[in-house]
Amino acid sequence: MEFNYIAMLAGFLLMTFLLYKEVRRANQARLLWRILANIVAVGCFVLLIVPIRYETHLKQNPDEIILLTEGTNLDSVANLKGKKYTLPSVDLKNTKATTIADLSYFLKSNPNIRKLNVYGYGLTAAELENLKGYQISFHPSANPTGIIAANWPAKLKTSEPLQVQGMYQNTTKETVKLLLKGLGKAVDSVNIEANANKSFSFKTTPKQTGKAVYQLLALQKNDTLAKEAVPVQVGNQASMKVLILASFPDFEYKFLKNWLYENQYPLAFRSQISKNKYASDFLNMDSINLSQINALSLKKFDILIIDEEELAAISPGERSSINIAVNNGMGLLIRVTDSKALTRLSGKSNRFEIPPLKGKTLNLMLAEDHFKFNPLPLEQGLFLKTNQNEQSVITDASGKTLVNSSISGYGKILTSSISSTYNWILSGEKTDYAAYWSKLLANAARKRNDMLTVNIIPQFPVVNQKTRIITDLSVAGKLPILKVDDVQLNPRQNMELPFQWDALYWPKKTGWIDLQVNQNIEPIYIYKKTDWQALKNQQNLNDTHQFIKNLGTAVNNTQLKDVVIEEEISIWWFFTGFLLAAAFLWYESRILAV
Amino acid sequence: MLKTEGQNWIRSLKIRWISFYLISTIAIALAIALLLSVTGFYLLHSPAWIFAAIFPLILAILLFSKPVWKTTDLDVSRFVNNHYPELEESADLLLQNETALSMLQQLQRNKIENIIPNLAQPKEPLKRLYFGLAILAVALLISFGITKIPQISKTDSIIQENKNQVPTIKENIPAEISAFSATIIPPAYTGKGERKQKQFTIAAETGATVSWKIETNIGIKKLKLIFNDNESISLKALNAAHTQWIYSKTINKSGFYQLDLDGKKSDLYQMEVIPDLPVTIKITQPKQHTTIDIGQPQKFDLKASLSDDYGINDAFISATMASGKGEGVSFTEKKLSFNTSFDNKKNISLNKLIDLKSLGMKPGDELYFFIKAMDNHGQSSRSDVYFVSIVDTTELMSLAGMTNGVNLVPEYFRSERQIIIDTEKLLKEQSTLPAATFKTRSNDLGIDQKLLRLRYGQFLGEENETEIGGDHDDHDEHAEHKAESEKFGDVSAIMDKYAHKHDIAEDATFFEPEMKAQLKAVLTEMWNAELRLRTYKPQEALPYEYKALRLLKDLQQKSRAYVAKTTVKVSALKPEKRLSGELDKITQPVQKMTFEQKEKRTVYLKTALALLESRKTGKNFTGQDRFLLGETEKYMIGAAADHPSTYLNALASLRKLITGNRPTIKDIDLVQQAIQKMINVEPAKPQVQNTAPASALYQNYFNNLNKAGR
Repeated sequence: MEFNYIAMLAGFLLMTFLLYKEVRRANQARLLWRILANIVAVGCFVLLIVPIRYETHLKQNPDEIILLTEGTNLDSVANLKGKKYTLPSVDLKNTKATTIADLSYFLKSNPNIRKLNVYGYGLTAAELENLKGYQISFHPSANPTGIIAANWPAKLKTSEPLQVQGMYQNTTKETVKLLLKGLGKAVDSVNIEANANKSFSFKTTPKQTGKAVYQLLALQKNDTLAKEAVPVQVGNQASMKVLILASFPDFEYKFLKNWLYENQYPLAFRSQISKNKYASDFLNMDSINLSQINALSLKKFDILIIDEEELAAISPGERSSINIAVNNGMGLLIRVTDSKALTRLSGKSNRFEIPPLKGKTLNLMLAEDHFKFNPLPLEQGLFLKTNQNEQSVITDASGKTLVNSSISGYGKILTSSISSTYNWILSGEKTDYAAYWSKLLANAARKRNDMLTVNIIPQFPVVNQKTRIITDLSVAGKLPILKVDDVQLNPRQNMELPFQWDALYWPKKTGWIDLQVNQNIEPIYIYKKTDWQALKNQQNLNDTHQFIKNLGTAVNNTQLKDVVIEEEISIWWFFTGFLLAAAFLWYESRILAV
Repeated sequence: MLKTEGQNWIRSLKIRWISFYLISTIAIALAIALLLSVTGFYLLHSPAWIFAAIFPLILAILLFSKPVWKTTDLDVSRFVNNHYPELEESADLLLQNETALSMLQQLQRNKIENIIPNLAQPKEPLKRLYFGLAILAVALLISFGITKIPQISKTDSIIQENKNQVPTIKENIPAEISAFSATIIPPAYTGKGERKQKQFTIAAETGATVSWKIETNIGIKKLKLIFNDNESISLKALNAAHTQWIYSKTINKSGFYQLDLDGKKSDLYQMEVIPDLPVTIKITQPKQHTTIDIGQPQKFDLKASLSDDYGINDAFISATMASGKGEGVSFTEKKLSFNTSFDNKKNISLNKLIDLKSLGMKPGDELYFFIKAMDNHGQSSRSDVYFVSIVDTTELMSLAGMTNGVNLVPEYFRSERQIIIDTEKLLKEQSTLPAATFKTRSNDLGIDQKLLRLRYGQFLGEENETEIGGDHDDHDEHAEHKAESEKFGDVSAIMDKYAHKHDIAEDATFFEPEMKAQLKAVLTEMWNAELRLRTYKPQEALPYEYKALRLLKDLQQKSRAYVAKTTVKVSALKPEKRLSGELDKITQPVQKMTFEQKEKRTVYLKTALALLESRKTGKNFTGQDRFLLGETEKYMIGAAADHPSTYLNALASLRKLITGNRPTIKDIDLVQQAIQKMINVEPAKPQVQNTAPASALYQNYFNNLNKAGR
């Protein structure tokens, strides 16, 4: 400030001196002009040093900022007045936007900001969390083209199919071919018409044991529009333990026994041969005492297959221990042949009988995904009625239920009215047989508790991005050891769920990384930054829209105010004035005065 | 010295002349060269660079035959003098030095100088240019036509050649080999001549002899052929320099082989065997089951078509006749030959009329037959078995079935039999009876038949006599119900809407649908018989009557459950003693087994697949990985030996991966594809479902829910 006054004073002195010299000059021509030029020159010179500020009225809210996000149309924001901000994750070129390192920190340090004008695809859910209580005006970009939704199971068990489902948004004017490729060959493809949103579903059975990365390619003629990674791991796991109690040995049991035996499933098989006399087989397992069924022996098995006659024949005590075992999670598959229920346990589902059609084959179908089996040469007359709390598992072609399942406590009870499926094996349809029994056994068997589960936020973790690893453990109290590629992480316990821990990590490289939780190793796939870009954009778009919708109209009371903004006059003006005045003086003294 | 206007004019004409002429000459040369080289390239299969040689040659010839650049101004002035009478033969004056001219000449020259710029440019050079370009255009057209010729001729020849020629596969041949050939001598039965090829990939007929002749450019100590990676054969050198080698082998199985030149192994080459298929036999006539009813001729036409890939040697009918009943059934076998010669034809259609009577067949007998054919390689094949039976009428007439057991509708059967007996009697007496009596009796029989038919119709629940075995599809009653005003609360009215009602509901469902269908067939036969009787043709009616009777007999047998009387006496059961035997000495059988997975193939292959996937990033294989790949290679060699065309490339890539340093994605993809093919379809296996880790919290929640539910 003081320097300004000194400058002004110096300028004034200089001007006085100059004016004195001008007045006293011999040649008195153009005196008025010279005095004027001197005043202008000195005045401008002083103003070059001392800036002039003035106040203007701007129709902008002082407490609002412009935030540019991914996908902002640069042409449309070029004309915007006001200061522009952007986030470090956004890659925008040719904009003079200030980068905000941390949005929440920025907002906290600028408490006057009440409103954000968001351009582009918007913010992620995590970033939006910081914006609660702010008013947001969203100017979304056009919908992104590409895969906007995708999902698949990351972990599979041997022989389970991999199903990749999602949605493609094609905003271009040409057809796009979507192709799932994996293990060296194209698996499946679908065409997506121009200007259309189409959901897709690819199904394949990965044949490897271990990790693999499938690829989802979007092709337009010869151009590859996108190449997204679909990481999948296939693992073996311990087989389920099966107990079969038969009132009499029949072919159905014999074939089922052999099939399970050959697939290395631990199996105990007991069939009655006389009063209190049983023949028992222990396949792929140690022998145990099966003459009396009790809760303890049932605990060792994941599923019990029994026919209704046997269920009726065993003692009430045994029946009740079966009931208890089912309530504690064991699966129960009851084969019924009669239209009348013999026991309470098997009588939960109602049955009806219709006279079977002669010479008709039985066409079975999986109720869940309408998978059709090859016909069985059976004349089926017994069907099941599906109650409110039952689910049909297998139906015939006309939709009549043959196998249904109901929940009992922790466990499941399946009732089947199909008497002989071994005909499939006899006629060489081994895959049908396997599919049928796999479905039934997997549906009913006791669910196995994982040692731990791992969740990653975000869905597609990316290099150099904050990644939250959440793990659920079976034991609550103990602090788990979390390591990623030998980097020790510091877990934090969830305040409400004591068994849940989370840790933050910034991945350093793409591809598979090993997360170690205590002694277990869980592979995690880290994506490239460009992977699944369209999906992320669409997600941001949806999240931001949703966020704004949730905000509602409550905070909509800030209106545009006339705010006084101080602006500085450009010093170039003064420089020009000084130059002109000085030039006149020089010209006058050199040419005109001579 | 500034040139005069006339001189300029003449000079520019000269330049125009020469340049147009040159362009036209180049065009013509181009045209000729194009024609020649296209002919050479497409028809004579000479290399493409001949064009580069032909064009300059022709151009040179054309230019030297007419050296147009030697044209002088004088030549031009001469031409101008000839062409333009206005110049008065004085154009050359323009070219001479002005000072050397006489007065008169100068005057003339000035005169011409004024004329010459106004003259039209001569058209000759332009004409010349157009001529040259036209020739070029024609040549272009013709050469385009020539390029099409090979394609036309190829399409014809490809079809013929493709069968013999192995499609050319790009092969990597070791550098040491200068020349080689493989001669394939197909076995005699194929009737094909020997063929020679210049590639190692071999496709040969089963049993063909292949001889390799290999020449090397340097002396090699030892040349080996390794078949399927396990059978190694050393070749004998033909000359002392060890540069010529020969080997021959009979091929019966597909596989692959490679060369071993002093320990240096070549690529793998596939060896495909084209198998000889047995004769396919197609019988178009008769149907698989044929019944010859009474009245029909006791013979049938047999039509069959046979085809084989190389030639049919022989074919015959193997017929078996079964006669008699019950325990007295006797079989006689006969071999019937087609009286044609086969001459190793590839396709043949056979025809034979088989007379059952001449085979010695009687009513009630059955004939089973099939066709057996041999191809020229000695492979035999046979068709399905076909059945032809002759209906036994005497069986129908017997009362054996009536005497015992339940009889559902006895009186009607007798009636049909009676009608047959009466018809036969009428026919016998026809000659003695007057025509009118014959007609009345025939008509009476027809009436009897009608009555019988109507009575059977009742079984079917027929409601009026005009409907014979017809189904009543038109249920107008339903429509009527709709028209009626709705009565609320009227149970029967509501039920009527949904029920399918007949006049006599019981009748409609008296029989099983299958029986009803047969009964309908009986009625149809009866109707046919009645028609003939009523039109006084009892002879024609007879077959229908028999058929009706046969069907009725079948019906009778079907609806009967007959248990023959037994003489066995069973002692009365004592219920108090049942299931009370002593069982303490009976041991309970216990069986214990554990399934040993002998085959590790799938396990290895699956792990290898994941290993390869993890190496797509370019990492090298470790020692352990190489062991696994080695195991995979073993299995792939086995697969490649059976299907060389599918797995050979993958095997080569796999070896490259094992030995090479940096695995390439292309190789990995190829191997992965092959492994997936080898694993084949995997049937589903029951898998335990997983849930979240067990937590006391969840358990408490569940327990509380359970309590609340009660």
